[in-house]
Amino acid sequence: MKNAVSGIGLAPDAAMVTFPIRMFLPGSDLTALAERKREFYDGLTSWRSSLVPAVNASPMLAVEGESYEEALVKANNLLLTNLWGDGLPLWPATKSRVDWILRGSALPREHVLGKFPPRGGITTIETCAIALAMAGGRPEYLPVLVAAVEACFDPANGFDQLQATSGAPFPAVIVNGPIGKQIRLNSGFGLLGPDPQRPAGASIGRALRLLQQNVGGALPGVGTMAIFGAMRYTNAVFAEDEEGLPPGWQPHATQRHGYAPGTNSVSVVFASGVTNVRRRGAKKESPEEDALNGMWRMADFMRAPNLAALAGWEKGTPGMMMLAPIVARRMAELGWTQKSIREFLWENSKIPMEQMRRAGAPAWIEIDANPVTRDSIKLDPWPICLKPDNIVLVVAGGGHPTHSYWLQAHSPSVQGRVIRVPETFERLLADADRDLGCGEDVCRV
Amino acid sequence: MVKLEFHDPSGALEVTHPHAPRLASLEGKRIGFISNEQWQAYRMLPLLKEMLEQDFPGITVLPIDAYPQGNALIGTEETAGLVKKSGVDAVIVGNAA
Repeated sequence: MKNAVSGIGLAPDAAMVTFPIRMFLPGSDLTALAERKREFYDGLTSWRSSLVPAVNASPMLAVEGESYEEALVKANNLLLTNLWGDGLPLWPATKSRVDWILRGSALPREHVLGKFPPRGGITTIETCAIALAMAGGRPEYLPVLVAAVEACFDPANGFDQLQATSGAPFPAVIVNGPIGKQIRLNSGFGLLGPDPQRPAGASIGRALRLLQQNVGGALPGVGTMAIFGAMRYTNAVFAEDEEGLPPGWQPHATQRHGYAPGTNSVSVVFASGVTNVRRRGAKKESPEEDALNGMWRMADFMRAPNLAALAGWEKGTPGMMMLAPIVARRMAELGWTQKSIREFLWENSKIPMEQMRRAGAPAWIEIDANPVTRDSIKLDPWPICLKPDNIVLVVAGGGHPTHSYWLQAHSPSVQGRVIRVPETFERLLADADRDLGCGEDVCRV
Repeated sequence: MVKLEFHDPSGALEVTHPHAPRLASLEGKRIGFISNEQWQAYRMLPLLKEMLEQDFPGITVLPIDAYPQGNALIGTEETAGLVKKSGVDAVIVGNAA
């Protein structure tokens, strides 16, 4: 609540009467309401904010130690005690480190991207650089982080609610264009996890999460009521495997946002879960049977009343299906297209209304703000989104055919942004080669 | 001694307007509810309405559905306009969890 009032320009404080969560459950005992009615009356009459009205500075902090290591420990302790850490070691955002990161910006450091919801912290290029410095990032990662923040801020996302909700959506940032390879984003084996040869996604995603928490106020249990909060150390930041696209298939950013192939861009889906789908057959299936069985298994995983996805039923997405490149190529050889895959998944993930009713799902459809979504209650079986094109289909993952990955969504929209790089970007890439070793495929294990 | 200086990562806040002034008293005032219809608001807010009406002579407390309800609607400019038009002196907003 304090985030919400801060986000609309008030001092981060509010007249609130708070009760234990049990009182907010069906059939609860409401006796405490009468016992504490005076607090409501006081909130309307005598309450005064205890905060000074202006909180404008973003000061430098300082710690001292007998050695650099001791100072580093104290800095990390200070960041944690001020509720600005994530439990993993942080790089303190020193002036020199932040200035180094800012070499990756095509925009001035004071350029304002917006107010980070719901708390409303003013988010500049420098704010992003501070987070990226803390997250162990490098200058060449900054353009992707900035574009991802811009995409998150799009009003169509309702980002303030995504930040605060109990459902724990996390940004999944799909990067298209040559920048993915250039900055060592992973598009292959283990792309949603750690990879020392392709470390960019972890740093960028961690920086985005630090911004969400420190600037946006999404502190667990206070500013975000995410009950479980999976994938929230680093979110998910990866590159589509454009070289792995079958002939004739388009990059995700071209399909979804209309960007020309080769454009550096981000596309942000808010996912709320990650599910492995064992796709490959186990016996002597023909290629056609193997593909079709796998498609059915993917549709079966999608055929679930994910009510958080109602927010994106019309214009967003029910989720992102990730196909490994070898799977995409084999399916393309059998005649499957991006369009026919989406149509199959959409058609065969529809849920019989009887199953919706037994799960109490229609009530959530009835109260949805979008009349188009509310009207969908007439459909039986009920499609998990308005049309097949809502389903995000990306080609990425290790060169292995056994699994697909389904990221169910809580994504009112899917926003894309073009990535802007500084004129000195080639120099930054050369610096990365110097610091991290050759980044070309031929140099990697 | 080694001194390590680093940026506060929390971003600046901009306070653009003050909190609304509080009422001197609730007697004779007009009070509204803005409800998201969640978290037992349909039970709690009518109870609050009853208590306010019992405790403050001359108070007018609008029904809990006097304005649009639901998370998607209570923050809209349209709802804000309806609140202003209704001439209330104060509103109670609920429920968050």
